[in-house]
Amino acid sequence: MKALDKLEKHLKERLSELSKEKEKGHKIIGYAAGGYLPEELVLACGAIPLCFIQAGNNSILRRSGAYICRWFDPFWRSQIGFITSGKDPYYNIVDLIVVPITDNHVRAFSNTVGYYTPGKELFVFGVPHVKDKLALDYYLQGINRLKKTLENFTGVEMTDSRLQESIGLCNRERELFREISIMRKSGNHMVNSKDFVALNHGSFLADKEFMIDILESYIQEVQDSSMLPKDGPRILLTGSTLARGDSKVLDIIEDCGGIIVMEEFAEGIRPYWGRVRVEGDLMSNLAESYFMDRICPGWFRPGTERLDFLVNLVKEYHIKGLVWYQLIYRESYKVESYFFPDMLRKETGMNMLTLESEYDAMETGPMKTRIETYIETMRR
Amino acid sequence: MSNYYDGLLKLCGFEDAEIENERPRIESSFEKLGIVPADMERANSWVRQNHDVSLEGVRKLLGAWLQELIDLVLSKEEGKKIVYFGFPAILGPGLMLSASSEDVFVSAPDMVLDHTMGQIFNKLTPILESGEANGLPPGHALCSLWQAKIGGIASGMIPVPDLALASSYFCDMGSKADDLVAAQYEIPVAYIDGVMDSKWGEFPEYLPERVHYLGGQINQALEKAEKVLGIKIAPDAWERSQKESRGFVDNLLKLLELMKSDPVPISVVELELLEALSGSSTGRGIREGTKAMSILVEELEERVKAGTGITEKRAPRVMMAAGHCSDPRVTHLIEEAGLAVPLTMVLSWIGGPKIEPKGDYDTPGEKMANYELAAANFHGTDASIKLFEWGSKVMKLDGVIAHYLYNCRPAATTSHAQKKYLEEKTGLPVLALEIDNFDSRSYSADSMRTKVETFAELVKARKRTGYKSLT
Repeated sequence: MKALDKLEKHLKERLSELSKEKEKGHKIIGYAAGGYLPEELVLACGAIPLCFIQAGNNSILRRSGAYICRWFDPFWRSQIGFITSGKDPYYNIVDLIVVPITDNHVRAFSNTVGYYTPGKELFVFGVPHVKDKLALDYYLQGINRLKKTLENFTGVEMTDSRLQESIGLCNRERELFREISIMRKSGNHMVNSKDFVALNHGSFLADKEFMIDILESYIQEVQDSSMLPKDGPRILLTGSTLARGDSKVLDIIEDCGGIIVMEEFAEGIRPYWGRVRVEGDLMSNLAESYFMDRICPGWFRPGTERLDFLVNLVKEYHIKGLVWYQLIYRESYKVESYFFPDMLRKETGMNMLTLESEYDAMETGPMKTRIETYIETMRR
Repeated sequence: MSNYYDGLLKLCGFEDAEIENERPRIESSFEKLGIVPADMERANSWVRQNHDVSLEGVRKLLGAWLQELIDLVLSKEEGKKIVYFGFPAILGPGLMLSASSEDVFVSAPDMVLDHTMGQIFNKLTPILESGEANGLPPGHALCSLWQAKIGGIASGMIPVPDLALASSYFCDMGSKADDLVAAQYEIPVAYIDGVMDSKWGEFPEYLPERVHYLGGQINQALEKAEKVLGIKIAPDAWERSQKESRGFVDNLLKLLELMKSDPVPISVVELELLEALSGSSTGRGIREGTKAMSILVEELEERVKAGTGITEKRAPRVMMAAGHCSDPRVTHLIEEAGLAVPLTMVLSWIGGPKIEPKGDYDTPGEKMANYELAAANFHGTDASIKLFEWGSKVMKLDGVIAHYLYNCRPAATTSHAQKKYLEEKTGLPVLALEIDNFDSRSYSADSMRTKVETFAELVKARKRTGYKSLT
């Protein structure tokens, strides 16, 4: 795919491009994964958003052991390893780190930034765990504080017209991701899951307008291609986090002949199903879309909205197998993985496969055996 | 007519007449709990080995826990509407529900099981195993307190509640486990949500938005409880519950004053019985516990006057996060190593320096939220660590055992930072100790002995060589 090649080239040059932007006076705003930071706010004040999404390498976890005990999700321990070691250049280039605090794993990361790297500018705001009017108001207050902080930090007033423009840009990006994702409802398997994931991960780092061009080109390429039906069970892959650099489970499923046609992750996949309204109170619209309309992650309570969504995806995308890929010690997903299989079986008659990772190479063998067996049972 | 359990109950502060009056309830509850004559010898020796039963106040405290257990186990068949809340909890909502209807039983059942089936009968393991088999498997650092709750329900020892009050303002695990109970037993859950989104160093400041949100969530949960339980919360429930808990707080403050003495007059194992009861019971347990405290205060005043205590005079003084909830041997280990423990972080919530709540709020929920945020309880990681810093001044400490619960994420966030912070701020030696405060199968006293004893020697040596503690 030419679009993906272009994206790869862009990302290779991205750091030096960002350095040049910094020299021109543009601020770079790094933020913690999870999809609760409206990038629109960063873009509207002329700054550049960067999401910290790298993980998958066990060695960085050892580094985090000097700052936090091991009983936290390895993705967030990876972030602690990166921020304290300076081994991820994206962490080194940002001017401000924004952490929307969702659960205690993210809080551990926020504490580390606050305590161990006091030289880094940090802004935190909380994301409630329930969906109601009070929670929506609280989230809105958080992003309003963020808006003020960004305005002060960049010296740019976030006017409605600037915000409308950035919402338009982000809406376009979401729309394109949605379009690509929906293509997978049919038997056209030109949209490879690894490509879709690469586009997602790229979008967290790439220039927004460039990314939109890439997505448009990608769609055009897919539409111009001939149908390539494949003989393999259609898989829904879900979990808390699919990091850039954590491709093990994708590789194994593909190697075993499974076809991933949907990924549902709270961290690592951009929430692309919603659209922010551009009429009326824009901040309220952002809160409505990012908090209320978005399908909640597993640490919301109750988690039934997401579980119902998974069941719907299974039906809509003609899924034959569901792989629940959780990171060890992320307790919300672990607990749900106990009672969701019954719900799934009742609604769809399907069994699911639960996998767990700590980004350890030693996991590959057992993981492969389990995936092969699962796919084998689906083929019968 | 006496029965096999009379001796144990007397050891736990029950009077003869009380046993006679309670006998049918005792037998019915023991049957559900699987407590049989063969358990008595072990329980008797376990209680004597681990508790200072020469003190009537301690015996009565153990009795208060047993009374809470009996009430819990029989609550359903006695026609009560049952509410379980997650520990640690903002106790106000539970107290208000209790104060509003005699037909409502509100408790933290996991803590009750830990303190009775663990601390008195030494029979907690099968309950934990049942929890592991019913949704919270071992090996994933899942909360062992919740394993006890799920295990207790799954094994039929404690009833399925009519409503769960989820402490969604503290841990993620608890509320998600409430989802598990809801999925398995189809019970309603009232989530009291909050977000610990303090920036590092923000405490003691906090935003009014946090008070509004947490307070509003408490108010909503109370409204839901009214609907589910079919009760009306009395207009004066908040004031009454405050008044009723005043006796407990006053007694606790007196006890903490006594703990400033050298030597400390009582083991922190017994203080743990108190601190935990105040966070677990809203009914008979806490009422009887308050009476037991009055007796205990008098007994300890005598000890202080006589200059006696549980460690040698001038024993180094350390603070820890909390005593062990189910296996006192873990807590005793510290005292056996020659260290006095005058304060825990949990007790410092009540006995520590007071931060005045900011602003005036009208609703019960906001009042509670404002108090809790000012008191550091549910504020954030640096607030918890600062409680140790203050405690070190109040109790003239020589060291800190900053243990953290490996399977409690909010507590484990302190794992490394608290040692560094406290050593830098107080100049005291700090032992960061990983622990499971509710289950000693993997984190036993023996597994920690080498670390604790070595640390104790270090602290003693520092004290001998004239190092000055903070004043």
